[in-house]
Amino acid sequence: MRPGSDRGRETITVAVAGNPNSGKSTLINAVAGTRLQVGNWPGVTVEKKEAHLVHDGHPIRLVDLPGTYSLSPYSQEEIIARDYLVQDQPDVLIDVVDATNLERNLYLTMQLLELERPVVVALNFFDEVRKKGLVINIQALEEALGVRVVPTVASRGEGLPELMAAAVQAGQNGGRRAPRKLAYGEDLERAAQSLEDRLQERYPGLAERYPLRWLAYKLMEGDQMALQEANLDAEAAAWVSSAAAVKHLKSSHDEDLEGLLAEARHGVAAGLTREVLKRPGWSKVELTERLDRIILNRILGIPVFLLAMWLVFKLTFDLGNPFVDWVDGVFSGPLTRWTTALLTWLAAPAWLTSLATEGVIGGVGTVLTFVPLIFAMMFFITLLEGSGYMARAAFVMDRAMHLLGLHGKSFIPMLLGFGCNVPALYATRALENPKDKVLTALLIPLMSCGAKLPVYALFTGLFFAAHAGTVIWSLYMAGIVLAMVMGIIFKRTLFRGENPLFVMELPPYRLPTLKSLMIHTWEKGKHFIIKAGTYILAVSVLMWFLLHLPWGVEDKKDSVLGKLGQGLAPIFQPLGFGQWQAASSLVTGFVAKEIVVATMGQIYGKEAEPEETPSLGDDVKDIAMSFGKAVMDAGSNVVSTFGVATLAVEEDEKTKDWRDALQEQFTPLSALAFLAFTLLYMPCMVTAVAYKQEFGTWKWFGLATGYGLILAWLVALIIYQGGKLLGLGG
Amino acid sequence: MNLGQINLAQLPVGQKGRIARLEAQGPRKRRLMDMGVIVGEEVQVEKIAPLGDPIEVIIKDYRLSLRKIEAESVTVEVVL
Repeated sequence: MRPGSDRGRETITVAVAGNPNSGKSTLINAVAGTRLQVGNWPGVTVEKKEAHLVHDGHPIRLVDLPGTYSLSPYSQEEIIARDYLVQDQPDVLIDVVDATNLERNLYLTMQLLELERPVVVALNFFDEVRKKGLVINIQALEEALGVRVVPTVASRGEGLPELMAAAVQAGQNGGRRAPRKLAYGEDLERAAQSLEDRLQERYPGLAERYPLRWLAYKLMEGDQMALQEANLDAEAAAWVSSAAAVKHLKSSHDEDLEGLLAEARHGVAAGLTREVLKRPGWSKVELTERLDRIILNRILGIPVFLLAMWLVFKLTFDLGNPFVDWVDGVFSGPLTRWTTALLTWLAAPAWLTSLATEGVIGGVGTVLTFVPLIFAMMFFITLLEGSGYMARAAFVMDRAMHLLGLHGKSFIPMLLGFGCNVPALYATRALENPKDKVLTALLIPLMSCGAKLPVYALFTGLFFAAHAGTVIWSLYMAGIVLAMVMGIIFKRTLFRGENPLFVMELPPYRLPTLKSLMIHTWEKGKHFIIKAGTYILAVSVLMWFLLHLPWGVEDKKDSVLGKLGQGLAPIFQPLGFGQWQAASSLVTGFVAKEIVVATMGQIYGKEAEPEETPSLGDDVKDIAMSFGKAVMDAGSNVVSTFGVATLAVEEDEKTKDWRDALQEQFTPLSALAFLAFTLLYMPCMVTAVAYKQEFGTWKWFGLATGYGLILAWLVALIIYQGGKLLGLGG
Repeated sequence: MNLGQINLAQLPVGQKGRIARLEAQGPRKRRLMDMGVIVGEEVQVEKIAPLGDPIEVIIKDYRLSLRKIEAESVTVEVVL
């Protein structure tokens, strides 16, 4: 018996399964809220959400399974969901079903019921069911399935207490197996029964660990993973071709066994739907159909797509930048002053003050200044995903992606790459074909990530203030175009062969709930802050040492970093930025792109001059007031979205001197070459770790770095030398 | 080959068909079947992407997109 069966009223484990787009995330967020903990499934990088809560006195452990259409073992998500259900044997399973699409959703329900765990079905989007005039006979559905069925509207929290109550009730008896109620037709069941009988006979005790009928189906499907998991040997696998009932089944149908089972499940789902679902006599043109007439229009589709992408970036900057300025102001102003004052009062040596303010506070400040941008970016990407537009974007762009030998789904990791390459690399998991997964991963570094933004913002603010938005947009586009070029090159050299499958649902358009958006945005943003907090702070401190070693070095040119920069500078001479400062900054960008700016601040910056220190009270008041101003700025920016040059970096006294130094060393042309180089030259250290985790080898990171450096050098060369030839000045 | 049979990619927009056969094999076939593309199912081509590929079909009351090359592996009978 399962170990938890005698736990009585102890924690009930509730696993939540469902199709993608069934509103499962919204439901989980609504039930668990801030108690949600996000981690990874063991050994893999697929997100695992868990929450501990109490319902009506019963402690509950809620486990979110990856959204899947099926439990066939072909994608990582399906394997995770199935392994968890089979191995961990949760007390109850909540199956979240999109009630507006009952038939297709019930196909997964069939497979969940095969596992013979207690199941509660949540009929989600029940408000839409009513609005469409559909009538679902819930009692009939409950009777047919043999489990509780609860209508829910997750976005409004409707039906969720009832759902949890039903789950607790179903799980209370320690997760006793639900009786089988559904049959897949006489021939098939007879074949399965004969296999089940043989299993029972040959493997006594097996029935205590696995539902035998499920194993019989798996034998018929030739599911190697399931057979290995249950320790069945080759003889059991051979029964499929020897058992008379199975032979009969095969000979009387023009289909293989796996296909027969899939058809049977669909058959039951369709039959059930016919029985319990009544459609209205009328039908109206739905919102999704009306929107798709424009969004997927043959002429308008691509302009709409480009507009959507442009809006996402524009709004990200407009919303994020006022807060970027505010955070920057707080860190470089009051926080630095207070720390200096405190350390001076403690009679700390000057070097310690320098390390604390420049290394630590500077490092943390660098990280936090673009947290607002990351959050804004993630908010919009989550909105695209949750609204149903992401799938349309893949649909519209697939032909183009396909030319590069990529899957339409490659588009999503690529798009995530604009936020941060690290989650983007993890998102390549959605691709089933390993070749295309690697190819997508190799092209992701060309998607200009959020960490490169501070570099763009700094340089465009200084050199292209009037056209900052345009220059940054062009950089993003250049990355995309080069990804296409590299994709074609890779496809014709390293990655020849069959194309993967592109079979994707276009879900109905839905407005995600604000709560769901916030939780997702926060989770994604938090990941960045944690990553930043650990790696970047350490690196900022390390860089401070590189800059200040050998001990007591006077001129930064003689520091370790300066020497490194001097050694590399000649390589960058033809690109227009052969100064050791630029080279040194790029070196530190190896570790994280935003560090390029921090390093420039430290290298070009002069020793801080003593300034008049405002009182603590003034500082606090100032911080609060400038935050209020940031909120207002963000609001007014969104109202007047178009044409607001918010990217113009506001100069403050603290950074003015090193910004001046930058303007002396760079021309607009060499600045552009430098930006192009920054865009392309190599993935950061954390991305390297992601490559290693995702593919189990450094090989692909090595290749991405190698081609990146060559490409970056060539493109920067073309920009600078080409620009000079055109007489744009050097 | 029945005269009334064409592949799904040849089905004109707005036209309904009934799936007669799947030519795909292995995981590709299973994936199609998991998404509801099974013999006997009624399918209607809804849209073609702006760049000419993939196509959008309505099957089992939902919207599914697939590439033409995949649609070619699905044989349908035109439903008049």
